[in-house]
Amino acid sequence: MLRDVFKSIGGIENYGLISMIIFVFFFALLILHTFSLKRKDVDDFSRMPLDDVSKESDDIQDI
Amino acid sequence: MENQTFYYDNKIVKNFAYATLFWGVIGMVVGLLLALQFIWPALTFGIPYTTFGRIRPIHTNAVIFAFVGNGMFTGIYYSLQRLCKARMFNDLLSKINFWGWQLIIVLAAVSFAGGMTTGKEYAELEWPIDLLVAVIWLVFGANMIGTIIKRRTQHIYVAIWFYIATFVTITVLHVVNSLAIPVSLFKSYPIYAGVQDALVQWWYGHNAVAFFLTTPFLGLMYYYLPKAANRPIYSYRLSIVHFWALIFLYIWAGPHHLLYSALPGWAQSLGVVFSVMLIAPSWGGMVNGLLTLRGAWDRVREDPVLKFMVVAVTAYGMSTFEGPMMSTKTVNAISHFTDWTVGHAHIGALGWNGFLTFAVLYYLIPRMFQTQLFSRKMANLHFWIGTLGIIFYAVPLYWGAITQASMWKEFTADGFLKYPNFLETVTQLQPMYATRAIGGALYIVGILLGLYNLILTIRAGKFLPEEAASAPALTRVEGKRGSGEGIHRWLERRPVQFILVALVAILIGGLIEIVPLYLVKTNIPTIASVKPYTPLELQGRDIYVREGCYTCHSQQVRPFRSETERYGEYAKAGEYVYDHPFQWGSKRNGPDLSREGVVSGRQYKPNSWHYNHMMNPQRLNEQSIMPVYKWLIYDDLDISTTPRKIRVMQFLGVPYPQGYDKIANDDLMIQARGIADDLKSQGIQVEPTKEIIAMIAYLQRLGKDVHAAGMPTATITGK
Repeated sequence: MLRDVFKSIGGIENYGLISMIIFVFFFALLILHTFSLKRKDVDDFSRMPLDDVSKESDDIQDI
Repeated sequence: MENQTFYYDNKIVKNFAYATLFWGVIGMVVGLLLALQFIWPALTFGIPYTTFGRIRPIHTNAVIFAFVGNGMFTGIYYSLQRLCKARMFNDLLSKINFWGWQLIIVLAAVSFAGGMTTGKEYAELEWPIDLLVAVIWLVFGANMIGTIIKRRTQHIYVAIWFYIATFVTITVLHVVNSLAIPVSLFKSYPIYAGVQDALVQWWYGHNAVAFFLTTPFLGLMYYYLPKAANRPIYSYRLSIVHFWALIFLYIWAGPHHLLYSALPGWAQSLGVVFSVMLIAPSWGGMVNGLLTLRGAWDRVREDPVLKFMVVAVTAYGMSTFEGPMMSTKTVNAISHFTDWTVGHAHIGALGWNGFLTFAVLYYLIPRMFQTQLFSRKMANLHFWIGTLGIIFYAVPLYWGAITQASMWKEFTADGFLKYPNFLETVTQLQPMYATRAIGGALYIVGILLGLYNLILTIRAGKFLPEEAASAPALTRVEGKRGSGEGIHRWLERRPVQFILVALVAILIGGLIEIVPLYLVKTNIPTIASVKPYTPLELQGRDIYVREGCYTCHSQQVRPFRSETERYGEYAKAGEYVYDHPFQWGSKRNGPDLSREGVVSGRQYKPNSWHYNHMMNPQRLNEQSIMPVYKWLIYDDLDISTTPRKIRVMQFLGVPYPQGYDKIANDDLMIQARGIADDLKSQGIQVEPTKEIIAMIAYLQRLGKDVHAAGMPTATITGK
């Protein structure tokens, strides 16, 4: 069935345009979504690498 | 909640760090040998194991999978534990990952030197090693995912998203591109042929760059850059958009490696469109990295770790601007098949991957050895020598590329090619090749300085194999989204769901590009005159693949007047339908060979010329940079494999008559005697059972079928 569906596709050259529309639509929503994130959460997440100090490495200075 | 004490496994990080340094030196030194062979082709020493075609895959695989791969594992094993506040899921899996990966590297080097290759760039490993790669990669994935699941932090940090995308996508790419039918333990034919093989291969090849050289290193950037700068990441919001846009778009861009080829136009256009769009997320990531340094730029002046990181991220920005630019058809018409591609690749490999790897090593080795870096001055010197090395490497190649492409395309006032002899366009590049070798040598000197500095650091410190840490256990939270919890916020604490969504994101592009090419017949118009290779030609083709001829010679004439004038009829999809694997190549250090056998063509040479050329190319032309292939003349052709090869080809759909495998060697010997007799008439005594006979048979077949179809030479563009 899948083979028949693909064989009968017309205008395969429009794939690029369709793909771009999907991309722009999806990522416009994603960008809007990121602005709905709480500021405190975002600040906390962005600091995560700085919160992993282990007992020993506390004393090790940057080179 | 009560804190739990646990221990980070630094031993596995140390092992990977040592392997990174070791393979880094090996991979780069082999690269330097290759660079020198452009100037002194005799540096192959006249033996098979050191010829350009065989050691070029050793160089690329050593740098990509050994140096960068071990660097990636070093960075991930260190950062993942700390970001998850958990030891690695299973120490045994860590050890299997480490030793298995090193075994793969050794097997790869030995098999490539021995001529065991699939002939597909960056995927040259034969099927038993491919299986081992799959197993070890799954071990890594299981260990990583297990660690994420037993983490003590609620949230999964952005660096880990990139690690997840790396694991998921490389698994898919490796499995799909490696599908092959074995002929023997060290020989297989890919299930794909011609155009389809090319599309799958470059879908893999491009995304190996994306998901082995880019996404894991972006993950490392998101961890180590904030750590080294002691600043939070500039924009977490941007990192969300960066991640999803990057993994969604990257997977589509593969066809930009096949512009002006026989690939259907719609697939080429998809590759171009998505490659251009890739600038947005790539530069989003670069900006996010560089702006993380806001308020810390004064430290860049002093701190070698930050210096390496800044140049690494800048190199990433440069190559991700250059990549989309090279993907546009106008620029690609100039850059493709030239050293531009090599320059571009090395900005990424030496600048982005190499410098970020050294930044990570300089960051974590002193910490694991509880000491200071032995010499900051030496690290700074490494930085400057390495940076100069990159510039001396890349600039001459860009210069050489534009020079060579211009020479290929230049016509006289009378309408003839101004430089009809391909060799003229190579000889012109010798000063650039020499400067490139100096650049490579400088980069290696930098690495050796770094190695020395790190050895002294290690000797001055005391290794901490088990690093104690503590954190409260992870509170079990309802799997469903909480009130006010956004979809992405929920996804960021659900690793399995995250993996599934990432998998869907990367599968969309691959499926839309690859599936129609298989199912819509009109994408590959057949040519009635194109017939399967004779048994002798098939054996010759396998020798062509074994010797890595595709690393210097293309088999794909682009539809430009400058190419059809030089080589003959431009490439058609239908002429490659029996090519398992395709051999289009990506670089022309020598001329295109796809019309080599057309007797009335511009490239045709008699059998005796090919014999003499393989015996000693410099005797025919003093300035040739082609290595000698004397062993083809002395070594016997192994015809015991012919029946099996025919049967595998039949299985793959090549229309040899039923039962042909039993009589194939009879036909082989008849054709071989014909060539040997022809050589004898030219005063050359050679047995028909020698490899050179098969190689000549294959070269003399190239382009004949298309010519037989009586297609007029057409010019599509005026370029």
